Amino acid sequence: MTDALYERFQKKWDETMELPPQTVGPFTPYYKMVTKRLKVMPIPILLLMSAVLIVILFYILGSGITFLTSVLQRGF
Amino acid sequence: MTHISDILIISLYSFSRNFLGIITRPYETYRRILLKGTLWELFPIGVLLSLYFAVNALVKAPAFRPFVLTRHFIKTSLSVAVTAVLISLLLWGIGRVFGGKGEYKQFFLAWAYTLVPTLCWFFLTSVLYIVIPPPRTTHPAGIAFSLVFLTLSGVFFFWKIILSYLSLRSGLKLDLIRIFGILLVSAPIIGIYSIGMYRLGIFRVPFL
Repeated sequence: MTDALYERFQKKWDETMELPPQTVGPFTPYYKMVTKRLKVMPIPILLLMSAVLIVILFYILGSGITFLTSVLQRGF
Repeated sequence: MTHISDILIISLYSFSRNFLGIITRPYETYRRILLKGTLWELFPIGVLLSLYFAVNALVKAPAFRPFVLTRHFIKTSLSVAVTAVLISLLLWGIGRVFGGKGEYKQFFLAWAYTLVPTLCWFFLTSVLYIVIPPPRTTHPAGIAFSLVFLTLSGVFFFWKIILSYLSLRSGLKLDLIRIFGILLVSAPIIGIYSIGMYRLGIFRVPFL
């Protein structure tokens, strides 16, 4: 490995390791599983999460969901 | 000596790069913002916000008169600027109490980037407000629109949560438990503030 490449690697490594890795006790593997998908191009996962949540909300509120939309549309 | 136009062009380039970065690689981009970002990057964010407030004034002001439009523009601009500074100061202050490290300047810059999803949602809602004004009915078309609108709003909301988490995580170098602690302490204060803004007729939804 050339010196320049090694220096770039070292700099990137230092940037990455400035913060200690996040652990959440016994849930750490699950936390890593979720955040791994959010680190690169998270929009598709967020879209899926949001769609599932809204379908559940629709199941609970029924057509009352339109009221929420009206409030948000007027809210900006 | 660097000319001011050079600084603005560089900040515009950095902002564009970070704008794409927070969509494609938010974690990595936030590290870059905190390490290399400058307060000049607030300028493009401010320009985009001003553009939005101008559109908002045209859509929402009760009359198409210069005085009314200007008053509406100034009211919303000042409210958003003051709210962004107050909320970032509150989170930074509580974060420091929880053992956070880092300068307010860099934290504020990171926090300012959390306004990007808000801004995208603002523009989406403004366009839809013009194209399909509320209220929504319980007709199947109204329900279908609601499902799509709420799903998209959810995406922007989750995106904002990720960026807010990254601001606190990278900007204050805190772990998840402490971040939850900050949110627990700040939520009632932000709640009271949001009710105040609602009563004053400035924001109806606490989206900042």
